[in-house]
Amino acid sequence: MANYHPNNELLMSFAAGQLPNSLGIMVACHLEQCHSCRQQTHLYEQLGGELLGDLPEETVGTNVLSRILDRIDEPVSAPSLATLNQGDLAIPRPLRRFIPGSLDTLEWSGMTKSIREFDIEIEDPQFKAKLYKIGAGKELPEHTHEGNEFTYVIDGSFADKTCQYHEGDFILADTQTIHQPRATMDKDCICFAVMDAPLKMTGIFGRMLNPFMR
Amino acid sequence: MSNATPKILENLLLAIAQKQDREAFVKLFEATSSRLKAFAMQCGATSNDAEELLQECMLTVWRKAHTFNPKTGTAITWLYTIIRNKRIDFARKGRYDTVLSDDLWNDEGGTELENDVSSDLDAKVARTLLESLPDEQRQVVYKVYFEGKSHSEIAADLDLPLGTIKSRLRLAMKKLDTLAKEQMTWLIIILTMNF
Repeated sequence: MANYHPNNELLMSFAAGQLPNSLGIMVACHLEQCHSCRQQTHLYEQLGGELLGDLPEETVGTNVLSRILDRIDEPVSAPSLATLNQGDLAIPRPLRRFIPGSLDTLEWSGMTKSIREFDIEIEDPQFKAKLYKIGAGKELPEHTHEGNEFTYVIDGSFADKTCQYHEGDFILADTQTIHQPRATMDKDCICFAVMDAPLKMTGIFGRMLNPFMR
Repeated sequence: MSNATPKILENLLLAIAQKQDREAFVKLFEATSSRLKAFAMQCGATSNDAEELLQECMLTVWRKAHTFNPKTGTAITWLYTIIRNKRIDFARKGRYDTVLSDDLWNDEGGTELENDVSSDLDAKVARTLLESLPDEQRQVVYKVYFEGKSHSEIAADLDLPLGTIKSRLRLAMKKLDTLAKEQMTWLIIILTMNF
């Protein structure tokens, strides 16, 4: 069971269908794991229903109903890409179709063996989406963020100075957060990260590494 | 909707689901279409696009009425999720790398949120909240739902400090949570009385 959750502002925007693409996918990944956030989202959907019921009415063109009735017996179109469910079952369903092949055979890239990354192609003007793989027991250089970074733990776990994060956890780091995540010893940690600015390294090693990182 | 009670909408949807009842479908259209169109326009659609979206929405209502479960929520909430999803998919047709509503919400499942008595109460909570929110909080909630604005964009829109926007939204959410908790208490009382 997840211990770290999206805040209510995010859940409300999700229920409103208004989150940017990558972030929406990440919240959906967490919701598949988290009963209490599903319930909270459901509450915000009800609020959406009430807002809908409360809107001032717009006049609808007289031919709209007949156009709908003309099409009502049309065969249902092909299932959407999102429901084909292709890909690696180890990847959460909402993210799955955006990751080619399986986690084991992904073409990871990156400077060091301890941190590998993979760019996820999700159309999103605001955020970049990546997978990170932190080697078992390995540590990232201490860093802070120029913007927000959202992290979702897909597999394994990692620890910060104060907390430990496991599968299903949803973590928000902002410009105030300085952290130095370390994967736990037993296995590699795979995370889905969504960020709106590149990492800014703060430690000595970090400053050296920074110019080379994409 | 002004004259259709939640129970009437629920029965219409169930008739569509169980009997493919076209008459019920027409009645549902008459009761809800003006507000479904208004939803699209509040989200920024032109009148033409809004009617296009309304058509897509109603066709989905016809095809997916069987996924409506009155034990998990009211008819209007279900309609809200349909039009919300259609709006997301409307502008994104045929793009492979973009996010579709089916990515975000799974049709299946939802039974875990089932409860014999809760959906009426849930709806009451949301209704009470909407009625009891001061205008200034209501305005911010409204912008989140319909305009998809970030807190800083809302602050710029209303020419107010970011902190004010955040606190208004937080107050509204806190109120909703308090109401939901009260409702849970009632639920427990009702369930206990039934045993």
